[in-house]
Amino acid sequence: MSSIAMNKPGTTVLLMGNEAVARGAIEAGIGVAAAYPGSPSSEVLPAIAGVAKEMNIHAEWSVNEKVATEVAAGASFAGIRSFVVMKQNGVNVAVDFIVNLNMTGIGEGGMVIFVADDPGGMTSSNEEDSRTITKWLDNPLLEPSSAQEAKEMTKWAYELSEAVNLLTFVRGVTRISYTKSNVVLGELPERREKKAYFPELWDMYNPKKSKFTSGPFPIYHKPLHEKLEKAREIFETSTFNRYRGPENPDVLVITCGACTSYCTEAVDELRAGDRVGVLKLGTTWPLPEKLVAKHLSTTKKVLFVEEMDPFVEQSVMELAASLLPTTCDLTFYGARSGHLTPYNEQSTNLVINALMDILGTTYQPRDLTYDREAKEAIKIVPNRPINMCPGCSHRATFWAVKKALQLDGRKGFLCGDIGCYSMGFAGPGFFQSRTMHAMGSGTGVANGLGNLKHFGFDQPVLAITGDSTFFHATMPALVNGVYNNSNFILLIVDNSATAMTGFQPHPGTGQLATGEQATVVDMEGLCRAIGAEVKVCDPFDLDNATATLLGMMQQDAGVRVIIMRHMCQLVKDKRKIPRKYKMHVDSEKCLADTCGCDMLCTRLFGCPGLMVDRETGKASIDEALCVGCGLCTDICPANAIIREEAIG
Amino acid sequence: MKVKGCRELIEEVVDEGLCAYCGACAGSCPYLVSYKGRIVPLDNCTISEGQCFKYCPRTPIDLDAISQEVFGTVYSDDELGNAEEVLIARSTDAYIRERAQYGGTVTALLSLALEEGFIECAVLGKMSDEKIPCTFLARDKDQILQCAGTSYMACPILEALNQFPKESKERLGIVAMPCQVLALSKMKKDPPQNRVDIGNVKLVIGLFCTWALCHDTFHRFLRENFDLSQVIKFDIPPPPADRFDVYTISGRTSFPLEQIRKFIMTTCSYCLDMTAEFADISVGSAEGIEGWNTVIIRTKTGADLMQLAETKGILETQVLPDENLAHLKTAAIEKKKRALKNIVERTGGKEDFLYLGGLSEGVIDKLLEY
Repeated sequence: MSSIAMNKPGTTVLLMGNEAVARGAIEAGIGVAAAYPGSPSSEVLPAIAGVAKEMNIHAEWSVNEKVATEVAAGASFAGIRSFVVMKQNGVNVAVDFIVNLNMTGIGEGGMVIFVADDPGGMTSSNEEDSRTITKWLDNPLLEPSSAQEAKEMTKWAYELSEAVNLLTFVRGVTRISYTKSNVVLGELPERREKKAYFPELWDMYNPKKSKFTSGPFPIYHKPLHEKLEKAREIFETSTFNRYRGPENPDVLVITCGACTSYCTEAVDELRAGDRVGVLKLGTTWPLPEKLVAKHLSTTKKVLFVEEMDPFVEQSVMELAASLLPTTCDLTFYGARSGHLTPYNEQSTNLVINALMDILGTTYQPRDLTYDREAKEAIKIVPNRPINMCPGCSHRATFWAVKKALQLDGRKGFLCGDIGCYSMGFAGPGFFQSRTMHAMGSGTGVANGLGNLKHFGFDQPVLAITGDSTFFHATMPALVNGVYNNSNFILLIVDNSATAMTGFQPHPGTGQLATGEQATVVDMEGLCRAIGAEVKVCDPFDLDNATATLLGMMQQDAGVRVIIMRHMCQLVKDKRKIPRKYKMHVDSEKCLADTCGCDMLCTRLFGCPGLMVDRETGKASIDEALCVGCGLCTDICPANAIIREEAIG
Repeated sequence: MKVKGCRELIEEVVDEGLCAYCGACAGSCPYLVSYKGRIVPLDNCTISEGQCFKYCPRTPIDLDAISQEVFGTVYSDDELGNAEEVLIARSTDAYIRERAQYGGTVTALLSLALEEGFIECAVLGKMSDEKIPCTFLARDKDQILQCAGTSYMACPILEALNQFPKESKERLGIVAMPCQVLALSKMKKDPPQNRVDIGNVKLVIGLFCTWALCHDTFHRFLRENFDLSQVIKFDIPPPPADRFDVYTISGRTSFPLEQIRKFIMTTCSYCLDMTAEFADISVGSAEGIEGWNTVIIRTKTGADLMQLAETKGILETQVLPDENLAHLKTAAIEKKKRALKNIVERTGGKEDFLYLGGLSEGVIDKLLEY
């Protein structure tokens, strides 16, 4: 049995932060969980889906974050505790619904949203602080500082949600989601056979509007602010807010989330525990003002340590302004003062540097030769630029796109999108993607570019989207293009998975989040029904894919769709589909860096399964990485890369 | 003669409007391909001295050295180049003549060369259904006949040569425009690496050329006026007709030649060579003698093939009347003079003749004095 569903309260288990969050939701007795995959949040829903049946939970991958939030709201309306999970970008998608949901309030079932932010944008198309959204939405916000606290907060968030009748945010960051640490399990709820029921029915004898339809807005907005004030009162005594340090610290550090550890470590490293106090806030919006005001009165210097936007910093400074003149002696340090940055991740070192400056102390963590030796050591680490996997079908698609665009010669270009094929903006996709923004935006932007004919615009426009992204946000843009007579080609790179985030199924795969069979939504039929001309190609048939794309480009009218269908190599591996070819290089034939080749395969094509033999200078196959897809045979100008049918 | 790379070829030749679309740079590497009248770079090749640049007929060329290679003598300042014999000829086969543009001499000679095993494959240009000249490999007489007639557009046949497998031993014959013959001669002078042996090319039949049409603009004109699937052939009847004829299923449509001249490729105005001076045999129309070709025999290979054709009764030949010869020479020298004048105008002086090297001062002065 997965430790997620282990019914042994008090037991310590090793859990990833995302699993701890899932456990928290399970301990809270959720009945519904919905999510759209996106790192660093992707592991929460599968953890729940894995035990969904035994725990009587409906767990689903929704087509996008807005729908996921609506799914959860539906459950809440019918009295069922529900959970919705996404990464920071997802909140932007869901926010239109949430702002309206806040007007009506949720149902009887508590509703919690877990958002995993990605400081530094390590696995994202952007760097965004989702906390600010809670401020203008008017939703309570909790920020866990460890996996254990993530579990506790998620569970407690349901009590809060029900107490104030509001969707409650739990905001993690990459370092919380992907940390594995000890978590002490709590109690699992009794399996309740609670009947879900939607209470707000029409009464013909007393017809009135439902609780779940909002407006008139001045009337509805006021109680929303009152709910938030109630949350603030609850937060004043929350044990998620803690202080460690002297009664009257020289410097008061106010921090939250993953930064908590950096701060306590920094104080310990500096042996400044008698001079520096750390106020760790777990409830960051609305700010527990009385608590914070009390701490502000104990010091003259305040340092804010948080990741990305100066969210707490601004709230506290706003509070300080309201407390004037009692706060007039205070000096604030943080993003505004330049002691820390309002972007990227924080670290213990950065906090140490900030504290050194404020305290006027020095700190030498290691001997002076360390940095020099570290610089030497780093030279032996091979450079590993981002790349697509060996055998990736996207590489074939971008190769075909590059050739078709060059042959066409009218200065056409590709609008990129979000997924593994995002790498089209760089070397792995031959720098073919010339725009890249949000999910589905490539197609939306192509809509606009494809409708500029009357300004003399004559460049062919291509857009690319993945299969999962297609269902998420590309479909409306495709409809828009057909409806508004735009002129572009949409390439749907259908690799039968949401590959970038870990092979989650989607409506086109015929599989549910729980692994059960699902109805396959026919992408091709859908595009045809929308009114686009549709062609389907296997990008591994490079010549045909290129010719088909080129032929479509030269029609130069209307919205055309080309589905580049080839299963993700990693999905093939998971399904144990045997490798097609055994590859080798005939070094007699290989032209290497001479005229006629110039190392096309390793220099430009760039499959990780290909390498240069140091001794001969010729191409060779890295047998540890090659998956035997055979594509490189088709690009080698000298027919030197040989594919033989793999046996067995 | 400094050899540069692919990027310079594109910048200095293609982007400058000097590309003759001969195909010499394409087909033997993954970077350059021909497509609908354009040489297209597919990606960045970093070879600093590329064969693409080396064999281009519009990159620096030493005409004396080439002439030494082909004829064993310096570049001739004669109007028709190194000509052993000039005569008129036509195929004795009425079936061939009916399908050929003029006298069917090229078709007859190629067929003979194939039948005799002198060559095994002919590298030719053929009009596609879309009326785009495409390369075609003919291995029998019927296939050769399919290629008869001209499109008046350049066809990158040397790309097809470059695409032959490196290890191929097939003996080849090529029918080429003057620019293409020039590129082939560059290859003969300094054989390519990593490609099929240039020695496999056993026969080069050059075609007379005053200019070729730009695919893009000419095609746009054709599409505006015709359903391309109905077009059968093109012709420029001899002077003083001064017109361009398009034959379709429903008959002939004529245009003033001046209207078509707008579509001439820029590069043609810098070309010196009307009669394919480095070929084994050069063939063109015989102005004023309908149904016959003018033939210039230049090498022993050419002479032997002509001799055999006459002996076997495949070709009938006659002496080219003096008046016609004089007319031919005038046309040839006029093209040279025009080209040199245009080159000097473009470069701004006699110090730079674009791609032309190895022209003796005597030749230059002779051409420029007109």
